[in-house]
Amino acid sequence: MAPILEVRGVSHSFRGLHVLRGVSFSVPAGAIVGLIGPNGAGKSTLFNIISGFLPPDSGTIVYRGTDITRQPIPARSRAGLVRTFQTPQVFQHLTVRENLMAGCYKQGSSGVLRDLIALPGSRRDVRAMAGAADEACERFGLTDVREQLAGKLPAGQQRLLELARAAVSGPSLLCLDEPSSGLNSQEVASLMAALERLNRDGMSILLVSHDMDLVAVAPEINVLCFGEIVSRGSLEQVRADARVREAYLGV
Amino acid sequence: MSGTLLLQSSLVGLTNGFVYALIGLGIAVVFRGTRIINAMQGEFSLVGGLFAFLVLERLGLPMFVAFPLGVLVGAGLGFVIERVFVRPARRRGASEESYLLLTLGLAFAISAAVLYFFGRDSIALAGIGGEGSVVFFDAALRVHAIWLIVISCAVMVLLKLFYARTLIGQSIVAASLDEAGAATVGINVPLMHSLTFLLGGLVGGLAGVLVSPMIAVHYEMGLLLTLKGFAAAILGGLANPFGAIVGGITIGLIESLAVLTVSSGYKDVIAMAILIVIMILMPHGMLGYGRRKGG
Amino acid sequence: MPAQRDSALSAPAVSAAFQRWTIVVALVAIWLVVPWFISRTVVDMLVFTGLYTIAGLGVAFLLGQCGIVSLAQSVFYGIGAYSTAYCALQLGWPATAGVALGAGLSAAIAVLVGWPVLRLSGYFLALATLALAIIGHVLFLEWDWLTGGTLGIGGIPPIALSGFELNSPVRFYYFLWPIVALVVWMHYNLLNSRTGFAMRAMRDAPAAALVLGIDTHALKVKMFVLSAVLGSVAGSLFAHYVSFISVDSFGVDRAINFLLIAVLGGAKTIAGPILGALFITVTPHALSRLGDIHALLFAACLILVVIFLPGGFGGALRDLVRRLGRRRRR
Repeated sequence: MAPILEVRGVSHSFRGLHVLRGVSFSVPAGAIVGLIGPNGAGKSTLFNIISGFLPPDSGTIVYRGTDITRQPIPARSRAGLVRTFQTPQVFQHLTVRENLMAGCYKQGSSGVLRDLIALPGSRRDVRAMAGAADEACERFGLTDVREQLAGKLPAGQQRLLELARAAVSGPSLLCLDEPSSGLNSQEVASLMAALERLNRDGMSILLVSHDMDLVAVAPEINVLCFGEIVSRGSLEQVRADARVREAYLGV
Repeated sequence: MSGTLLLQSSLVGLTNGFVYALIGLGIAVVFRGTRIINAMQGEFSLVGGLFAFLVLERLGLPMFVAFPLGVLVGAGLGFVIERVFVRPARRRGASEESYLLLTLGLAFAISAAVLYFFGRDSIALAGIGGEGSVVFFDAALRVHAIWLIVISCAVMVLLKLFYARTLIGQSIVAASLDEAGAATVGINVPLMHSLTFLLGGLVGGLAGVLVSPMIAVHYEMGLLLTLKGFAAAILGGLANPFGAIVGGITIGLIESLAVLTVSSGYKDVIAMAILIVIMILMPHGMLGYGRRKGG
Repeated sequence: MPAQRDSALSAPAVSAAFQRWTIVVALVAIWLVVPWFISRTVVDMLVFTGLYTIAGLGVAFLLGQCGIVSLAQSVFYGIGAYSTAYCALQLGWPATAGVALGAGLSAAIAVLVGWPVLRLSGYFLALATLALAIIGHVLFLEWDWLTGGTLGIGGIPPIALSGFELNSPVRFYYFLWPIVALVVWMHYNLLNSRTGFAMRAMRDAPAAALVLGIDTHALKVKMFVLSAVLGSVAGSLFAHYVSFISVDSFGVDRAINFLLIAVLGGAKTIAGPILGALFITVTPHALSRLGDIHALLFAACLILVVIFLPGGFGGALRDLVRRLGRRRRR
């Protein structure tokens, strides 16, 4: 299948320190792909480059056949590339439902002037956002906390909310940054189930994590170490790889 | 444009530059210790200068008593403000914008109080060395201005030594970088915050007594001084102790050249435009390093 | 700042709609009747309350919805006033043209200045807007061929609606408050719209807002323009009402007052700016016997509200109403 995302020879350095050296990998459309690596391997930097928060020193990011290396973040989002954050970025002073409504921003179209005088189109947008938010509450098990302020939720639910918000925004490729950190094992299990469900619905997923158990949902895994992809394959293949063991265990 | 005129206006610019530098140093001191941009730094100077004037003129005490008293009042004010206003705000989990509104509110309050009790008139304060001046190539520099420059440089060196060499200085920096960590190693974090404001007030009060003989004390002087000091601190880089001096001199010189070439009325327009441009183009300053956090 | 709800989008349908209409009818009745019972001075204060509400609202939604502290509103207030004065006196144009010119000019300047400046955030942005206020004030002062400097411009004609001149406080009051109501209604609409959600998202977590496809910088510029237009319209109306304007009306202290309206009134509430504007207008009058003490009182209120009442008067009022409502239900 044609790849939805291709990372081609991406390099980046901070003050002379090479964080990424010619990293290339791709995410096939409809797949779940894992990206793992020890701390300091350059995962976050790579992730920021893919999502548009950081321009790479060299190399290109190709999304659905278009070079998006220099594209601003909102444009990437409109094209269907959506990410989450390592520390969940919920809208603290909004309720869970309002967070999800904000997540549907792209589906609406009414502009500032129309919103000012509450034309029918503007109200229709808000109703559609509310409907989608309620549905997402059901789907992600957030109905009980629907009217609570997102900033007051426990960390696990904030993470779930962030995932749900990313999902309602209608992505084609969902990039998740350490989605399991701060979750207990039960929450990780339901997170895995949710990811598989989203994937069945047609979403491609790029999963960055150092949690081997979670990454098991991905049939294909890339291992990033000291700024280079050192191994790729299924979880078993990767585990068997001597370079990966060396990287993780230092032997 | 004659050479003398150019030299004369450069000297004025240099002197003003050191004034901005002193205010900028105070802002940098408070920022270093608390991560707060203190929008009332200029008001420390207003209060310090005004107090020195009262002691000097109303009580008739000599200058060597009045000036140190003005400085001490600035320091005391800083300490009180931290204890009475900043600390309760911190306890209630204030955001960056509420600290800004708080210090702006304090600036307005002090300015309004000075207006209410002392009126709209400017108050002239005698300078060190009276009206005496030194002449270089036909351009005059007041003795007081020389003292201002010397004292500013001394303050900068002392501050640098304070942060680098003394336990309290290092504790203040530690408390602002990592509150929890500093508390774990036994640093009294709230006390460090109070001391930071005390030090900021001290520098502000000193600036006040040194500035007042040159620009006259006026209830509205604080805000503009704060902004120009802030411009100096940003231009030099908030993280760098030498920054404020370099930034202050740069702004002072540009300002006085602008007065010479454009018109004196546009002096503040040019300074404020510089401030905006610096913030957009060089948020880390000329000598700064490291990424600005939050901000 | 403690987390608090800031949307009115949850209402049990029928009774809420009924309640809302009752309130609207009551407000209209009050609007019609009030001038019969109060003195000319008080009507005059209500006119100023209306003018300040319009301009202060512009500052309030920037602060409450976008997290932008703006001290530049005095500049747009001034542009609005001088534009309409110029149109009326130099060109002989009607007030509508003057108001429109001021609004257009303010919008253009807001785009030109806002585009670079709104890249800043937090302390930097607030101080940049303060710097803009100072620049604006100096330019108003220096360009005396246009503004009359400290001497000002006099003889600005009152607004005429097909020959009917709004030349008394009462007439202006009847004309102004429907405009205020319109602006408040538009503010309410905006808060509960797609754009409103985008603004609050941007305020709470800018990075996440970007990821959701919200172009935060463009949104900030648009809101700044909207705020500037409100300031400008208020300034134009002010000029026609008082007929004499001078640079003293457009200084930094005016910008501070507009910010006070937002903070004291409560930037996140619908009624907040009205309460703030009322407070700003009435207090100096009530304390006029004591000289310039009101400035000191304003500053003290600002400090106390920032520390103890982050929701402002409007927020406190809303909490009170909620608490009473809950008690009644029990």
